Formats: sequence, C-alpha cells, structure tokens
Amino acid sequence: MAVAEMSDRADAGDETTVYQPAEDSRLLAEAAVERVGDDERVLEVGTGSGYVAGRVAAETDAAVVASDLNPHACRAVRETARSEGVALPVARGNLTHPFRAGAFDRVLFNPPYLPYDPDAARDDWMERALTGGETGREVIEAFLDDVGRVLAPEGRVLLLVSTLTDIEAVAAYAADRRLAATTAREESFPFERLAALSITPEH
Amino acid sequence: MKEDLLDIVCCPLDKSELELEAIRRDEGEILEGRLVCTECSEEYPIEDGIPNLLPPDMREESAA
Repeated sequence: MAVAEMSDRADAGDETTVYQPAEDSRLLAEAAVERVGDDERVLEVGTGSGYVAGRVAAETDAAVVASDLNPHACRAVRETARSEGVALPVARGNLTHPFRAGAFDRVLFNPPYLPYDPDAARDDWMERALTGGETGREVIEAFLDDVGRVLAPEGRVLLLVSTLTDIEAVAAYAADRRLAATTAREESFPFERLAALSITPEH
Repeated sequence: MKEDLLDIVCCPLDKSELELEAIRRDEGEILEGRLVCTECSEEYPIEDGIPNLLPPDMREESAA
C-alpha cells in the first residue's frame, strides 16, 4: 500500500484525504476487468479515488456504482467521472449498508487492512482509508457480515487482501458466514503478498 | 445522482425503499434534494449531486 503515490486522475488537493491508487488498486482492477460481464451490475465500496470502479466502468459495459464513507472521496470520484465522461454514479455510505438486497452481480472492495499502529495514529480520513483496527480485519469483517445480502443469485465478491491482514483468517471468517473464498489473482511485493479473493455464497 | 439510483439504494437503517424529493435538477440529474425513508421517515440529503446515505450518527464531515 503505497500511500504517497500520485494519481493523474484526482486533484492534487485530495492526496492527503483520499487514498490514491497503488499496487493493491491495480491488482483488484485487473481481476475485476477480467471477470466482470457486460450485463452485470457492479458496486465498489470504499472506492477512494474511484480508480477501480472507473476502470471497470470504462473497460466493460457493466453498470457500475461507487460508494465511500469519505465525502472528499465521493466528490473527487464524481468530478473525475464527469470530466472523463465515464458513467459512474456515486453515493456516500458505509460499506453495503445503503444498498438493496440482491441488487448486485459483483461487489468489489479494496479495504483498509493495515493493523492499527498507535504510534502512527492520526484520526484523519487517510487513516480511515488504511487501517482496519487492531487486527487489520475489522472493516473486512464488517463488510463480510452484510455483503451476502446485496448479492444477486450467482453474485460474487472480489475482495483485496494482504498477508499483512492474514488471508487465511479472512477466509475462515467468510466461511463462518457461509461465504466460500478462492484466490482469483495474486502478486508478491517486498513486504506483503496481495490477493484478490473471489467470494461466493455457499448454497 | 440520477433517478434510477433509487432502484438499488435503500434506507441504511431499516432497508426500506426511499422516496425522492428533488429540489434542484440539471441535465437529468438531481443536484440538491433528499431521499426520505418510506418506513421510518429518516431524511438523507443529496448535496452537489451526491446522496448521503449514512445513518444520522455517522454524517459528520470529519474522520474521527
């Protein structure tokens, strides 16, 4: 997760409040573009700069919606999509909570996954974009608690996880919620291995 | 937001349908207005074209 990386897509003023695309964003975007069908309805939660949702909207014919908790992220995504002529509706919300049951064929999430470090605590939007509580898994677990509700029949999740978060622990938590996880794509970096997990409800 | 977003969003509290009250529209988009829960009557503002579907206790602009 390279925090300081600059994006050519977002306003420079957002770089301190909105997470900018990095290796994890690219891995998730590539896994999504490869899998999403043109007739699918797709939701990305925690969209940040909108990089992943924007690529899926631009490179497939799927209907994509982006959502984030962070108002700065929502405004930046809306502006970027408008200026680039990409159809990408944006709603401010917490994870999948404001979306209807069975509404999506695919839900994408590149979650905050770094374990909380009290020495680096800053209580700002960037910290919210990066840290997932003491274990690094708190936001992922809250996501897995509700995501099954918004999936259409045969719907799937693509969730980005890191070895820093303990990928097996994420898969075990999903299994407890009757969600089966398999690795769709992975890549190793100097300090972590990233994986895009494809998650489906067990019927 | 466009009106067809109503087909996929719901009240984050009780998951009921939302009703649109548009205040300002432009080029097929609702720029200002609110979404009102048909069950609990909670109102969710639409500002600068973006609906804020956070529950009232999470709506602050700050992160902490």
